[in-house]
Amino acid sequence: MTRYGMSIDIDRCTGCGACMVACAVENNIPPAPEGAGDRKGITWIRVFQVNNGEDGSNRKSAFVPVLCQQCGHETPCVSVCPQQAVRVDPQTGIVGQMPERCLGCRYCMAACPYHARYFNWWDPVWPPGMEKTLNPAVAPRMRGVVEKCNFCHGRWHAAKERAAAQNRREIDPGDYLPACVEACPTGAIRFGDLNDRASVPARDARQDGSFRLLEKLGTDPKIHYHSRQGWVRQIASAPSGKEKARG
Amino acid sequence: MQTTRRDLFKFAAGSAAGLVFTPVPWRLITDTALWSENWPGIPRPARGEIHTRFTNCALCPAGCAVRARCVGPQPVALTGLPGQPLCAFGLVGHHLPYHPGRVTQGALEQAAAAIAHRDPKASIAVLDLRPGRTASWTYRRAMAAIPHGLYLAPKRISPAVNLADAKTVLSFGAPLLEGWGTPASVFAARERFRLVQVEPVPSPTAALADLWLPIRAGSETALARAIAQLLRKQALPPEVAALTGIPEEQIVSVARQVAENGPALVVAAEEFPAMSELNRLLGSLGRTVFPRREAPVPESWTRAAAPVTTFASVADHSIGVLLIDESAPDTYLPWSVVQKKLVPYDPLVVTFASSRAGYGRHAQYLLPTAVYPEITSDLPPALHSAAATFRLAAPLVAPPAGVVDPPTFVARMARLPLTPALRERAGAIHQAGRGTVSTWRDGKSVPVRQVKFDDFWSALNEGGCWIDSQGPQAPAPQMESGSFADPPVEQSSLPLVVVTTAVPQPFSPLLSKLYGESNLRLSPGRIALHPETARQCGVTDGARAALETIRGRAAVQVSIDSGMPPGVVRVAATPALLDLCGPSARAKVVRV
Amino acid sequence: MRNRGTFLFLAGAVAALGAGWMGLPYAIYARRAQPVDFSHKVHVEQGGLKCNDCHELRSDGSFAGIPRLEKCAGCHAAPMGATAAEKQFIDRYVAPQREVPWAVYARQPENVYFPHASHLKLAGLSCETCHGDHGRTNTLRPYQEDRISGYPRDIWRGMKMDTCLECHRQGSRKNSCLECHK
Repeated sequence: MTRYGMSIDIDRCTGCGACMVACAVENNIPPAPEGAGDRKGITWIRVFQVNNGEDGSNRKSAFVPVLCQQCGHETPCVSVCPQQAVRVDPQTGIVGQMPERCLGCRYCMAACPYHARYFNWWDPVWPPGMEKTLNPAVAPRMRGVVEKCNFCHGRWHAAKERAAAQNRREIDPGDYLPACVEACPTGAIRFGDLNDRASVPARDARQDGSFRLLEKLGTDPKIHYHSRQGWVRQIASAPSGKEKARG
Repeated sequence: MQTTRRDLFKFAAGSAAGLVFTPVPWRLITDTALWSENWPGIPRPARGEIHTRFTNCALCPAGCAVRARCVGPQPVALTGLPGQPLCAFGLVGHHLPYHPGRVTQGALEQAAAAIAHRDPKASIAVLDLRPGRTASWTYRRAMAAIPHGLYLAPKRISPAVNLADAKTVLSFGAPLLEGWGTPASVFAARERFRLVQVEPVPSPTAALADLWLPIRAGSETALARAIAQLLRKQALPPEVAALTGIPEEQIVSVARQVAENGPALVVAAEEFPAMSELNRLLGSLGRTVFPRREAPVPESWTRAAAPVTTFASVADHSIGVLLIDESAPDTYLPWSVVQKKLVPYDPLVVTFASSRAGYGRHAQYLLPTAVYPEITSDLPPALHSAAATFRLAAPLVAPPAGVVDPPTFVARMARLPLTPALRERAGAIHQAGRGTVSTWRDGKSVPVRQVKFDDFWSALNEGGCWIDSQGPQAPAPQMESGSFADPPVEQSSLPLVVVTTAVPQPFSPLLSKLYGESNLRLSPGRIALHPETARQCGVTDGARAALETIRGRAAVQVSIDSGMPPGVVRVAATPALLDLCGPSARAKVVRV
Repeated sequence: MRNRGTFLFLAGAVAALGAGWMGLPYAIYARRAQPVDFSHKVHVEQGGLKCNDCHELRSDGSFAGIPRLEKCAGCHAAPMGATAAEKQFIDRYVAPQREVPWAVYARQPENVYFPHASHLKLAGLSCETCHGDHGRTNTLRPYQEDRISGYPRDIWRGMKMDTCLECHRQGSRKNSCLECHK
């Protein structure tokens, strides 16, 4: 079975935000209505800027993309959902959110330690005519349901369809890439099968300096981060208070 | 026996009990739930066959290649090609035809009549906000055919740069990592050069540079001149460190880096003479800095074209009729700068734009244009290409009825013969016989000499790219560049120095992901202040405030950023805010 | 009548049961005929066509669904038979180049993902397994749609999630929601 995961090289991320926009295009995420700030916006992937707390020339910054970490062990959102609207998919390892089962209690949003789940406070509203640009591979959500990153499983569907057309059961690994991975101009976000030791994320995960967010909670996330800068690794594990995170 | 009320109740109770054992109540509940999943507020994506089409992005002169995934005729997703990713704005370019601020109606006949009835002695000018296109040549030919006609470019065409060969880049505020030039080539070359960013505010480029010099706003010219003196082996003027806020040792160290760790390249957000002098002293010309070359032009055009005049060099109060091509706005000149060149009584300003946000607020007539991806136009030569290029932004969707094509309008006004200019240009390129044409569907590059003209024209219309060959043959024409001057300095008693970050216009509402739904970028209409400066102004984070300059005031919202230098206000500027600030402004922030 | 009350109660219950079971389908389903009186039988027997001549699997694996006008117009640019239905079709749709607004019996909710490619090629299912003998009918049955939810009645006849789960509840596909939902 495949276990899809990512490795994100923080040193390569320039904070351009292309991943955030590509995600919104692929997944039919509507633009924010009036009054939606960063607390009520829907950004399945969100890039945060962190700095080392110094001033002037000594100030160093880094950009960290955060998305659903696809926790593999005692997945917090799965264990609290009263509707079983989210499950760890046995075929891919993706933590699959089913908005059609969700009743909007937002218990999962409280449970998620990474704040990677987003609630549809309003019905999606696109400017007149812009709904023609929606992606048919992903269903739009109504208001009152929670949604989050599903590793663009619509693209997984399309890759399986292409393989099936050629009578193959296994997809071509390079054929399935989430939108953020495809859009990243510096290749900071890499995607692959963590069960395949030769894949890029599996190799990156074994490198020195590779870490995961909130490792001590034991959620076994499938997103591995990497940075050569010590202060970045320090923020990820134990922020001392001087460092500031913004974004 | 009469039917009593009790009988009715018994019957009703029986019905209710019976009903529970029928599907009726359960179906009503589930169907209502199902209806709510699909109620009119939720749009349903259109289905259809998926096609792939290719074009080039026309949102900025980089002109990155675009692969469009289309459902039937409608593009639903844009991606770049391998090795040429699109920026955040390019990824949602296909939303622009449906932008809520889009204008599709305009008083075409009245505008044409007003221009026809102008004072024949007053000069008429076209301000081309994206010079270097084939349309620009049409404007130049039209202005040559009209008495007192002027062709104006907003600023000097800067030379082309080659980042791939640079080992040290000294940048005076150029947003290298925020969509400058061609983003893909910047990222590809980034590992190979050391970036020294001279910028007053902590932009993302400054945050990620190898060295950030937090210079005092407005003193870039002084620093550039000081480094030039060091390169000429002269002494460093003692007051420069105090003026710029950068320690002497650091200035000396930077000068040593650019001199010894070459090839070096000096770039800037806005070109200024001292930085060009630095490039000259460092020997960058020919190694990392090149003249901007454009694709071959038909002989008949070059013979009958008005020269390129920079806007700044036009005499004040001399333009009677100004036509502004804002259809692809790469630059926005603040209205105060534009107004100074217009005659004081009854000037006529006609702007060609797709939204009212720019000069539409000042012009007498706003004529609607097509917007990417509806337009058919070529792209100006890119900043990062030493060799000339020619690419078309081939339309992916049809523009709405009623829009105007600005070069056609101007050509008709000047009574030029209306010929298919793009096809003629492609003809001249094909005839010159140099270079290669690359097509994206099959990934091939073929020398132009081996391709018939019709195939060449089809390839261009499918987003193909012509690149000039390098070599000793007569090079492609060099673009006229014009003159430039040091940036002006405003003298006023207002306490804060303004640093503006222009926001590319128009942009899809989905960019709210970066502006507003996250704090990644400063949203248009927001200002950033140091915590101490904010305290002095009496504002807090997220508060509504007013930004006041000598030209007026505007409502803004405050963001506190501890990385900002004190005494500086950073403005994410829409055209309205750029008008308010003007070039190098000072301002005051007050609580409301 | 001593048990008049009970009698009325039972009468009400029977009336409700009758109305609910017999009457609900008539009340809740709106019927309409298909825009063109198309006969699969004629096309299969006289035209010699098979299912995938019109309902094809494209090379990228997507399914063409109900054919678009250009496929029909490929043969029917001029009348091929003498029926009134064909003439009406040509007059109303082929001549003015208007797509036929077919009503899709099997239209699933937006969040359902059903790929014909894997079911036809990998699972080896035949068209009849899910669509019955639709391909041999002489007329298209009327389209019935739930007035409230908008879904076609035919989904209840063998195209609900339960039907899919008969196969998809086995083995590695068990509990894989993402497999079938968008």
